[in-house]
Amino acid sequence: MRNHLFCAALAATTALAMPSLADTADGDALNAMAWDEVVELARGGEVNFFLWGGSDGINRYVSEYIGGILADEYDITLNRVGLSDTSEAVNLVLGEKEAGVTDAGAVDMIWINGENFRTMKQGGLAYCGYTDLLPNNAYVNWENPSIANDFGVPVDGCEVPWSTAQFAFAYDTARFDDPPRSIPVLLDWIKANPGQFTYPALPDFNGAVFVRHVFYHAAGGVENLLGPFDQAVYDEVAAKTWDILNDIEPYLWREGATYPNSIVTLQQLYANQEVDLIFDYEPATVGVNIENGTYPPTTQGYALTDGTIGNTNYTIIPFNSPNKAAALVLQNLLLSPAAQAQKALPDVWGAQPAIDITRLPEDDAALFASIERHPNVVDPEELAAVALPELQASWTAAIEQGWIENVGSN
Amino acid sequence: MSGADGVFTRSFRVITALVLIVWLVLPLIPLGIWSFAKGWFFPDLLPRVWTLDAWEYALSDTAGVMDSLGLTIYISVCATALSILVGVPAGRALGMYRFRGKAAVELAILAPTIVPGIAVALGIHSVFIWLGLANTVNGVILVHLIPTIPYMTLVMAGVFANHDPAFEQQARSLGATPLKTFWYVTLPAILPGIVVGGLFAFLVSWSQYILTLLIGGGRVVTLPLLLFNFATSGRNDIAGAIGMIYILPGVIILCLTARHLSGRSSAVGGYGRL
Repeated sequence: MRNHLFCAALAATTALAMPSLADTADGDALNAMAWDEVVELARGGEVNFFLWGGSDGINRYVSEYIGGILADEYDITLNRVGLSDTSEAVNLVLGEKEAGVTDAGAVDMIWINGENFRTMKQGGLAYCGYTDLLPNNAYVNWENPSIANDFGVPVDGCEVPWSTAQFAFAYDTARFDDPPRSIPVLLDWIKANPGQFTYPALPDFNGAVFVRHVFYHAAGGVENLLGPFDQAVYDEVAAKTWDILNDIEPYLWREGATYPNSIVTLQQLYANQEVDLIFDYEPATVGVNIENGTYPPTTQGYALTDGTIGNTNYTIIPFNSPNKAAALVLQNLLLSPAAQAQKALPDVWGAQPAIDITRLPEDDAALFASIERHPNVVDPEELAAVALPELQASWTAAIEQGWIENVGSN
Repeated sequence: MSGADGVFTRSFRVITALVLIVWLVLPLIPLGIWSFAKGWFFPDLLPRVWTLDAWEYALSDTAGVMDSLGLTIYISVCATALSILVGVPAGRALGMYRFRGKAAVELAILAPTIVPGIAVALGIHSVFIWLGLANTVNGVILVHLIPTIPYMTLVMAGVFANHDPAFEQQARSLGATPLKTFWYVTLPAILPGIVVGGLFAFLVSWSQYILTLLIGGGRVVTLPLLLFNFATSGRNDIAGAIGMIYILPGVIILCLTARHLSGRSSAVGGYGRL
């Protein structure tokens, strides 16, 4: 009894001690406002932006460039919270929802896509229906299916694109010439060069996308795989895919007895010359990792002639964010041509814009035209010429599980 | 005869000390080198390009390492002090008295060291939200007590098991008040135990990751959170620089308390009985 009284007293004092900031938790009210009103509400507030924190370049861009503009022009304090894994922030929101916190969550914005977005959307954890409110939303081409769908899940106004990325390979020009430039050639190359290739064990994000490339190859093209999950098609293609992957396994690094546990481990193997090829869903990683000393400077990114898979990543506002107005101002700023161009600079981040350059006024478009990409990063246009779509999450989940059961555990 | 024996004991001590130092310090050397390197590739013995970039980032406002260092010290010191407040009486009860349900109490105290933190963290999170302690420094300090108290209590139970209350009775019979008795008799006897237990508690609190992240809600950013960002992203240079800062308090405390950690201290065996 005494314990309960103590707890209640503690709760009461903490509640009293909480500052009464301008609360903008009511998303529906914001959706009905004009943009200027939202900006006024946001002024003087704060926004807690949760994003993967493992890159000093991205951290600097967000804290210094974006945070600087927010502070100077809107008097908004940006609190960047670094994550090791995006699911940590999703779990935080999920825990708050289960505990009944509907308007005082800790998270105002998350950098997100794929599986984590699906969790947020299906769990009712996202604030939706505001995209038309953002002035810079006019630069987003929602007609483009790869923007309107996040790993096959319709976005439905529940998140806003930030960058696009497309899978690319890279090799060290100082060590050999003429890397394998398509999946079938790669499969032969692996057998001809035993021990020189491997990929991260699934469910690693980058390992999974490599396996999907083999899956597309086994299916004879992605066309048969688009749309909702089809068990009959899956069974047929999956059997071929596991045959191919088990067939090359003895020729992988360490005879395929083990796989690297993450893309970071594979990057270290490549840096230490244990394997010859590296790949990444973010092609700009090659430039970033050369500049920070992770990769040898002779590393060169390249595209595949039979195409590589592309995706879009987004920012999302949780349903229970108490600073939605400030989060909207931040989202609008992230979409602005100037911020998108700054992000595309190779010495800042090198990430491809999520806005449609053709929709920009002339001088803004010129901003992008003047950007010189890192010489070792594959030309985005060369990549985009043969872009493959992502599958729906039901497919990707089945492929992941199938790999673990049929290849990973063998 | 006894001279030769002494030489043997002494050289054994020196060798053990050397092995321990090599074992503890050697893994830190590559970390230190990495923090000044721009790229370090096989088969180079040392990096070819040296730079202060990693340190420049680690010490910048953007990285927030220095703010975080102060906050982490504050949290760990508070958690240690509270652990001592709880652990000393609890250790005395467990070490000196027999009572009904003692085994159950011991198990309950040990439980947090057996059950993985993540299993209970989500449940604690919702309780702390209800209490208004989520996303606060106080909440993080409180939640750190879960893993720190077992270490403190167990060390103190060991110390009190060898503590003879006759010392205290004698002081009382000579006219000392309970407070004086504690201050002049009990405290000096158990102080080495408090130092060792406190060191454990500090280091356990110092290294918490998942409890801090969840209860702190990202608002309470301690050093392990920053370090883990870079350790998991393969940035050995920045992880090295933050890591060097991260181990400083532990090393300083270890140096200050080293004399209490040797086998001759009462923290291990107590002062025996009258």
